Amino acid sequence: MSVRAESVRSGWERATGPRAVGILGIALGALSFWLALPPVHARNTVLPVAVGILGAAAGIWAVSRRERRVGWGAIAAALVGIVGAILATRSSLTHLDIVVFWGALVTATLRWATPLTFAAIGGMFSERSGVVNIGLEGMMLVGAFFGALGADKTGSWEGGLLIAMAAGGALALIHAFFAIHLRADQIVGGTAINFLALGITGYLYVDVYGQQGTPTNLPAIPDVHFNWLQHVPPHQLGSFLDNSFGQMNLMVWLMFPLLIVSYIVMFKTPIGLRIRAVGEHPRAADTVGISVYAVRYSAVVVSGVLAALGGAYLSIGFVHSFSEGMTNGRGFIALAALIFGGWRPFGAFGAALLFGFSSALALRLPDAYGSSAGTLFQALPYVLTLIAVAGVIGRSIPPAAIGRPYKKQ
Amino acid sequence: MSDGPILELRSITKRFPGVVANDAIDFELLPGEVHALLGENGAGKSTLMNIVYGLYRPDGGEILIRGKPVTLGSAREAIMHGIGMVHQHFMLIPVMTVAENIVLASEPTHAGVLLDYAASVERVRELSERFGLAVDPEARVENIGVGQEQRVEILKALYRGAEILILDEPTAVLTPQEAAELFEIIRGLQAQGKSIIFISHKLKEVVEIADRITVLRRGRKVDTISREGATETGLARMMVGREVLLRVEKKPAAPGQPMLEVHDLSVLDDRGLGAVRDVSFAVRAGEIVGLAGVDGNGQTELIDALAGLRRPSGGEIRVRGQDVTRASARRVLDLGVGHIPEDRQRRGLVLEFSLAENLALHDYDEEPNSRFGWLFPRRLISRARKLLREFDVRGGGPQTRASALSGGNQQKVVIAREVAGDPDVLIAAQPTRGLDVGAIEYVHRRLVEVRDEGKAVLLVSLELDEIRALSDRILVIYEGRIVGEYDPKVAEEDLGIAMTGGGSAAAA
Repeated sequence: MSVRAESVRSGWERATGPRAVGILGIALGALSFWLALPPVHARNTVLPVAVGILGAAAGIWAVSRRERRVGWGAIAAALVGIVGAILATRSSLTHLDIVVFWGALVTATLRWATPLTFAAIGGMFSERSGVVNIGLEGMMLVGAFFGALGADKTGSWEGGLLIAMAAGGALALIHAFFAIHLRADQIVGGTAINFLALGITGYLYVDVYGQQGTPTNLPAIPDVHFNWLQHVPPHQLGSFLDNSFGQMNLMVWLMFPLLIVSYIVMFKTPIGLRIRAVGEHPRAADTVGISVYAVRYSAVVVSGVLAALGGAYLSIGFVHSFSEGMTNGRGFIALAALIFGGWRPFGAFGAALLFGFSSALALRLPDAYGSSAGTLFQALPYVLTLIAVAGVIGRSIPPAAIGRPYKKQ
Repeated sequence: MSDGPILELRSITKRFPGVVANDAIDFELLPGEVHALLGENGAGKSTLMNIVYGLYRPDGGEILIRGKPVTLGSAREAIMHGIGMVHQHFMLIPVMTVAENIVLASEPTHAGVLLDYAASVERVRELSERFGLAVDPEARVENIGVGQEQRVEILKALYRGAEILILDEPTAVLTPQEAAELFEIIRGLQAQGKSIIFISHKLKEVVEIADRITVLRRGRKVDTISREGATETGLARMMVGREVLLRVEKKPAAPGQPMLEVHDLSVLDDRGLGAVRDVSFAVRAGEIVGLAGVDGNGQTELIDALAGLRRPSGGEIRVRGQDVTRASARRVLDLGVGHIPEDRQRRGLVLEFSLAENLALHDYDEEPNSRFGWLFPRRLISRARKLLREFDVRGGGPQTRASALSGGNQQKVVIAREVAGDPDVLIAAQPTRGLDVGAIEYVHRRLVEVRDEGKAVLLVSLELDEIRALSDRILVIYEGRIVGEYDPKVAEEDLGIAMTGGGSAAAA
């Protein structure tokens, strides 16, 4: 068969192809674990193990049909699922109910995913235009501090957000200047940005707030209440919805329009087409009259503003105070979510949800299983990122000109 | 429109550090004419056109469009003045569709906000029909062929309302058939009133397509002549500044024993697909065998396998009767196979090394270059000095970095190294790619000399003229198979047909 004929496959062949079967295997692996959790609570291991073995079989079949990545992913998912299910069936029901309280898990997942999503979407603008933004962490931290400072000094959370955005944008401008104008190495530049942010916020924090810390009456970004949710019939669904979405921060809700708008901008407008063109082939963009520098500067500044919003949410929307280095690697996780999500808004959001879920779970585990289990679970995002970067579920392909400074002729 | 020139350049001067790329060049383009700009590499053709397209600023001189002086500070301004350019290296974004590439930066929109993709596709379809440039607007650029990419580039310029089209070495990447199609397209554009500047260093096509020809040499304009009365020899003399032998002088071959034998060889490409399929041939001492084919039909993989750089999936390779099918590159080299690689900058030379070091890449670890693990740089340098003189490498000495040389001189260094090793078999892959007339003449003469010394030469080239001029026998490769053997006197059309899969395997 010629190469061309091979590439033209029918939809049906694709649906029954090794790749689809491999993905099914991954789903079965996840299902086997889920069966042992509330509300299903399978108390004996037969059903979860059977489902898990089915998933592994699908994986092996896929591997033998040369679909190695997805196939091995399915086998790994099945093994993890089986082990998880066996462990879960050995745990007492009450312990499980404490940890796996779905309503609370959903709301916590969203809460943890929000700062990651803001920063990851910011990163998407920068990286799609061809500038690596490893400085997201620093930009979030600056946003967190200036959000708190701004809210404190202006006496309103809106003021806090505006000042956070300005600070994040300014820090991003520095990164942009080094990366675009001086054509410095973008990884080194971004790392410097992170240390700079740590230094600035640490110094100002001590200088302004000293020993007392941020005031306890810091203006906070308000929560949005939907009391009617609990009256949705049937009762169980109503209480689940209420526990999940009844009381969430405004920033969590703002995340959804941000996702939609950023998707439209990036993929459905001339602006997005130009950003992507600059990130893929800057010289081609230049020859049709697009200013590569202007596009990259704007994209990097936007990334700083969005990352700062994510940081400000942490300080004045979530924990209601600022502490030194409080972003604690979330900028890097956001970057990982961006890569995991294939430099696309909803992909990055999905990855942020996954990472948020593991954080949420990690926080609930200690109640039932002691603190070591939680600590172990905190590492999950990093493990997942490694797996993603190694390309188990379809390797993500970065913009072609990412990290490469552009020099006009 | 008046009958005066649509574009006029008056005494354009451009200096780069250490060189005057354009020295007071005058040039005029009449409406509806095809005007060729001819010159060797480095003669200043591309610099001049980059000035017209607003990518470089001239240090002196004047640009007039329809008689009015203009300044062209950016590509955007050039586009606004109706100038479009098709660059030698295409400026297309592989992951985007044809339509997206064409409308980029002047996109049709819904209400000025949302990209109107359907309208983009429609506009591209319209243009493509009007000018007879067949493209599929919704195909991704990474999935289309080179010929179509070039049409996309031309459409890009036309979409922006170009009246003046600059084509920078447009045939360099095309097969003879595609080049013929391009010439049809150019004539069609001309008929619709477009004015075209055609940059080239190939004499034959310039004489074929141009109404007038302006020749540049070392940054200066030599003359502008009309097609009538222009001959290839005359143009070559104007280009190079001396008499050039366009024909290769060679005696009939006196082939001896087979030196390189290939039996049923199969090789996979990087994606694991069959690139070379059951290929068998032999190259005898004292003959040049030319391997003709369109780029990407397995030549690269075949050469890699012969040089020991890629392990064949089946078959056998013998050098002087010894099996080297699974031998390392080093062993193949030691058995007397020289290899002039396709990509001299990536695989032929270490650009950051000096010429002396580059020349010693094969035998740095042998006496007298080194002993007991010690290298003797002075010996490398003194040998390099001799070789550089013998092979007429200009522009640097033994301690010059390879990256500082021009393409032609870099290629001479590669040839010097491979030929000085006194190989029995020489594999020359596209030995004159990107070289100008003078350097091509030198490389060709040298390859014939190697043959006359009784070596076996396998010449792989995309240039049919080169294959026909040098080879004693021609093999045609198509989709990884040898589809025919021809005599070098065969018509170019017949070779072209075989290279694209048509025609039967004719015997010489």
